[in-house]
Amino acid sequence: MSKNNCAVVGVGQTKYQTTRGDVSMAGLVREAAYRALEDAEMSWSDIDAVVIGKAPDFFEGVMMPEIYLAEALGCAGKPILRVHTAGSVGGSTALVATSLIQAGIHERVLTLGFEKQSESNATWALSLPQPFSVSINAGAGGYFSPIIRQYMIESAAPELIGCMVAFKDRQHALRNPYAHLHQHDLTFDQVVEAPMLWEPIRYSETCPSSDGACAMVLGSESVGDASSKPVAWVQGTSMRSEANTFPGRNEVNPRASRECADDVFSQAGITDRRREIDVVEMYVPFSWYEPMWLESLGFAEIGEGWKMVEEGATHIDGGDLPVNCSGGVLSTNPIGASGMIRFAEAALQVRQMAGEHQVDGVQRSLGHAYGGGAQYFAMWILGDTKP
Amino acid sequence: MTKLESIDYTLEYPYTRSTGPVWGPFLTGLRDGKILGARIGNKIYCPPLEFDPETAAAAEPDLVEVGPGGTVSGWTWVTKPTTKHPFDHPFAFALIVLDGADTAMAHAIDAKTEAAMRTGMRVSAQFRDERVGAVTDVYFVPEADAVDQEIAAGDEPVAITIHSIGVDISEPLSPHRVRFAEGLRNGKIIGQKSPTSGLVYVPGRGYDNMERVRMDESCDVEVADVGTVVAYTTISPIQYHGQTETEPYIRCSILLDGADQPLGGIDIRDMTPEEFRTGMRLKCVWRPPEERDYSDLDNRGGGLTEGVYERWEPTGEPDVDFESIKEHTW
Repeated sequence: MSKNNCAVVGVGQTKYQTTRGDVSMAGLVREAAYRALEDAEMSWSDIDAVVIGKAPDFFEGVMMPEIYLAEALGCAGKPILRVHTAGSVGGSTALVATSLIQAGIHERVLTLGFEKQSESNATWALSLPQPFSVSINAGAGGYFSPIIRQYMIESAAPELIGCMVAFKDRQHALRNPYAHLHQHDLTFDQVVEAPMLWEPIRYSETCPSSDGACAMVLGSESVGDASSKPVAWVQGTSMRSEANTFPGRNEVNPRASRECADDVFSQAGITDRRREIDVVEMYVPFSWYEPMWLESLGFAEIGEGWKMVEEGATHIDGGDLPVNCSGGVLSTNPIGASGMIRFAEAALQVRQMAGEHQVDGVQRSLGHAYGGGAQYFAMWILGDTKP
Repeated sequence: MTKLESIDYTLEYPYTRSTGPVWGPFLTGLRDGKILGARIGNKIYCPPLEFDPETAAAAEPDLVEVGPGGTVSGWTWVTKPTTKHPFDHPFAFALIVLDGADTAMAHAIDAKTEAAMRTGMRVSAQFRDERVGAVTDVYFVPEADAVDQEIAAGDEPVAITIHSIGVDISEPLSPHRVRFAEGLRNGKIIGQKSPTSGLVYVPGRGYDNMERVRMDESCDVEVADVGTVVAYTTISPIQYHGQTETEPYIRCSILLDGADQPLGGIDIRDMTPEEFRTGMRLKCVWRPPEERDYSDLDNRGGGLTEGVYERWEPTGEPDVDFESIKEHTW
């Protein structure tokens, strides 16, 4: 099945912080959208459609906010679509937008993910009962901690691998002006000595709660060719999902994750994943998910992802596969935007526009997002050449 | 005795709103007895916007006072107000074009009777005695019913507002959940055995989500009230509105003997993390039958409901080997 080419031609982000008390929800999304349009050298009238994503509506208590935000995003007389796939939503939103270009339906699509978490409390919003669905009832950390312990036992990883990931991502964040956490004086010892929040997850190994929005302008092949700036070409896209509980489920390395990765690397014609990908933006809300996903994505053998962390392979300085040069979810987490940020940062790296956290000579990058009980996956591979 | 027909609950949270450069002054105006519209291009929009809704172009705040009179351009009559509505008696929701504005604002009219309502009627704003900087600070009445009001301005401009937003939910308890509850009343844990795979789900779901087949009453099987800890965490409670937990506690999953899927979300409050471990064998200590409470049983639970048991206590048996339970992370 042939697809039309699609390019990322614009990226826009807000500064991420605990509370953006100075703007309305509409003002927040417009800030990111406007910056993406500016980067793409376009105006609102150039856009054919908008695809917007966010996490559950309970976060802000506005039901179906896409309806009220349509005019704020220039959608009068144009289509707007809302996507929701839990924490992976920012990634799957970008992929739905991509499919509109690849299918030849639109030439220029604005896609945006946002969350204004300061309007409620994320742990509350992830613990509440909802009709006919299983409540995890203790926030995301309470859900993921036994899975992380299982990985620690199975891989026999040294105890402080998670702390190494957390410290690395917070160091990376210092190079990203948009990152929420800028902990200039943080030491590794402070990461290790932080209190256990959901044992074995320390407070320092968890993501913050952020307000923010991230937007991209996606264009067709002719739009990409006409851009005066470098663009990032979509070389592969994939989404997968699975139920969050069933007998025999591999929760550490879910089948949906493995199959999503196999699909996206196959589409991009990649056989040696670690060598052929130059930089990864991976969804790591709890530190141990970096080695876990390194294995699931096939960058490391099963049980050996932690060795890449220990060797510094994922550090922006000297690593052969830098992971989360932006600081990642561990440094910035407006949930509905977090997947979009991974995808957008992957695009900035290919476009050589990541500023102080740019990795030299990036030709191909992977953007990755997951959500729910590690049950929804979205991935894309971008390159500096057309597929 | 607990009813077993439906589960009723309320989702509610005191959400905050940051109002931004236009809605902040608009709400401040309402608190101070004024209705403000925004001049955008050659139109006056009320309620005001931060942008041109037709083109999305940015609009510098240019606020002008409109009303207090206006004309109804459409309406509907609310016969049974809810607790979230602005009146406790029947009223109209209406689109009102305020004098001086070009667009309609949706708001409430205290018209007393439906017969008093008609499209094109004249209405006038009335302000409530207690005003907080919310759109509910104002309401409308038929012009003839309006009374003069002296409104004193407040102090600080409105920048953040708080709204208790909620929904009342009532859902019927599914038949398999009713049978599960009846089992708990009798000190029995009822699961369901898949007719296709033979795997035993506890609690049953009414369907096998892997084989996609229905599981009805004929699939019900009793499993033991003794099992093995397959996963746990120690939760340090985060404080938020409505949080009742204050001290760290253990939350675990227990694979009951005879089951293929663990019970989740079992809270342990009488053991310490130092003595707790995966592989440990635990037994349910039931409350006396007359004290068992399943009023918080719902359609979702992956565990038991706390009101039916006193605690889980170690059986004293040797721990189960990790290899044999490692497929059950949760």
